Amino acid sequence: MTATPRKLFLAFIVVLLAIGAVLPGYVSPYHTRVVMGFFMFAGLASAWNILGGFSGYWSFGHAAFFGMGAFGAAKISTALGAAAGSPAAMILPVAGATLIVAVFAALIAYPILRLRGIFFAIAMLGVSQVVTELVNNVSWIGGGVGVFMPSPVPAGTRPEVFYYYIFGALLLLIILVTYAIRRSKIGYGLLAIREDEDTAKMLGVPTEHYKIASFVLSGVLVGILGAVYGYSLGYMSTGSVLRLDIGLNMIVFCIIGGIGTIWGPVLGTAIMLFITQVLLSGFLDIHLMITGGIVVLMILLMPSGVLGFFNAKRWIRFRERAR
Amino acid sequence: MLFLQTLVNGLALGGLYALAAVGFSLVFGVLGIVNLTHGIFLVAGSYGALLLWEHLGIDPILSIPPVAIVLFGVGYVYQRTIIHWAVSRASLVASLVVTFGVAMIIRNLLQLWFGPDIRTITPSYSFSSVTFFDLRIDLVRLIALGMSLVVLLLLTALLRHTHFGRSIRATAQQPLAASLCGLDVERLYAKTFGLGAALAGASGAIIGIVQPFSPATEAGWTLNAFIVVVLGGIGSPAGALLGGVLLGLINTLTAQYIAPSMTNAAMFLVLVAMLLFRPHGLLGNAMGESR
Repeated sequence: MTATPRKLFLAFIVVLLAIGAVLPGYVSPYHTRVVMGFFMFAGLASAWNILGGFSGYWSFGHAAFFGMGAFGAAKISTALGAAAGSPAAMILPVAGATLIVAVFAALIAYPILRLRGIFFAIAMLGVSQVVTELVNNVSWIGGGVGVFMPSPVPAGTRPEVFYYYIFGALLLLIILVTYAIRRSKIGYGLLAIREDEDTAKMLGVPTEHYKIASFVLSGVLVGILGAVYGYSLGYMSTGSVLRLDIGLNMIVFCIIGGIGTIWGPVLGTAIMLFITQVLLSGFLDIHLMITGGIVVLMILLMPSGVLGFFNAKRWIRFRERAR
Repeated sequence: MLFLQTLVNGLALGGLYALAAVGFSLVFGVLGIVNLTHGIFLVAGSYGALLLWEHLGIDPILSIPPVAIVLFGVGYVYQRTIIHWAVSRASLVASLVVTFGVAMIIRNLLQLWFGPDIRTITPSYSFSSVTFFDLRIDLVRLIALGMSLVVLLLLTALLRHTHFGRSIRATAQQPLAASLCGLDVERLYAKTFGLGAALAGASGAIIGIVQPFSPATEAGWTLNAFIVVVLGGIGSPAGALLGGVLLGLINTLTAQYIAPSMTNAAMFLVLVAMLLFRPHGLLGNAMGESR
């Protein structure tokens, strides 16, 4: 990439950031919520992408980390008896929930990452199923009846604006983390694992460590989003955070944007949410069909996602010019 | 006595699981595709039996052949078009996502057509039961178990003794060698997929009289099929029977002695443990590529 497109791209990002920073002042609360949802799902897809996109280990069970983050924060904030109305009260529960998710992910990482391909995918689905049933049925956790979270929104601030900025900041953080990983030694190691794990191992890439590190990091980022999402709901039961569709959406958004790229998950989320929430918000009863149809068409027409499709086109044009 | 009764219930449930999984197992073994549409084909079979029962008064057991034939056609065309395109243009893993997308579409269509409500088929013998000594079993469960065993035996005979069965097994072992010997592997793939769909439809018609169903139950059946295959091994009716019976026993024993709400968790714990400690299946014939 030459210097000019790069500068253009950076300028574009800066403009987007500026628009994002002032947007809630100009649009309706409903649209603020829609953009907030976009921030959250783009964050989830990007976090999933660190494991699924870079190392090729497609997890179908990341909803488990999301739910654990939410219920971990709820448990801790109840135990602390935090007062409502102060954003600082969020810090300790969210940090604690992050720690819980990190420990859990580290514990299951070694055994479960020995599985590959479809088997890893289904085993993770199993993990999320087990977590869901435990949260639902162990009365101490309280997923069955539901738990209340004290609202940390300071007086005088509209809640959707408050969470808009938190999810926006988290999305920014996750993109930066993704970017840093992609450019680091570990990122190249993960790509090597995706292309051919046995060869990578043979060439001296510490595959086991890299896989575990990206698994835990990916899970932790999802867990943080889950904890904040729990706060934004105020009241939640098992069904509101441990949803199968949350885990599947992460994958679908990545596929549509372009798996394993930095901006693909964000772009995919934007496209899908625009189609389903804005264009077709009036056709709720055929949402499933539309989502399924888009997924099938994408795989058949652009198997490497929108970004991969255009990158490939650019590459072909570049080669033709070089001739 | 309670323990024996639990075992009997588990065995009856296991027969159903085995039949529900055998088509999935066949497609997985021969084409290498994890067919996430399997569960929705099964539910479609249940709805097919429901239609025939409500409008024509045909007994669900007699509706097995027509339902199976229709689904064979659907499966055949589906493999020749969408599945084939996905595998040749993208990858085998992409077929996982494509079948998932198709499952969503069909599920939505079924919801629009029949509504999202839970349905049952209740022929005249629904509420009778049979008693041996002190063990009691519902007549429908007994019939379902019997029909499952009949279909599994027919399938075994088909795979063992017919030219079609032999070519399926040959293709499963070595697609390239099979095509060098003059088999049309592409057509065979489509026929195998059709057979898998037909088996799903047949089990759906049988399951319709035993258990309530709705479009949303499809995901559970697909996952059950996967667990059965992991437990019993890929591609053989005997393996499906073993896996199915084990799964049925795990299910009823957990429900009886731990908690009814923990059955899914127990099934998945067994699945993860199997993949980790005995990835080749209990019979030692499958899952070599799981790691």
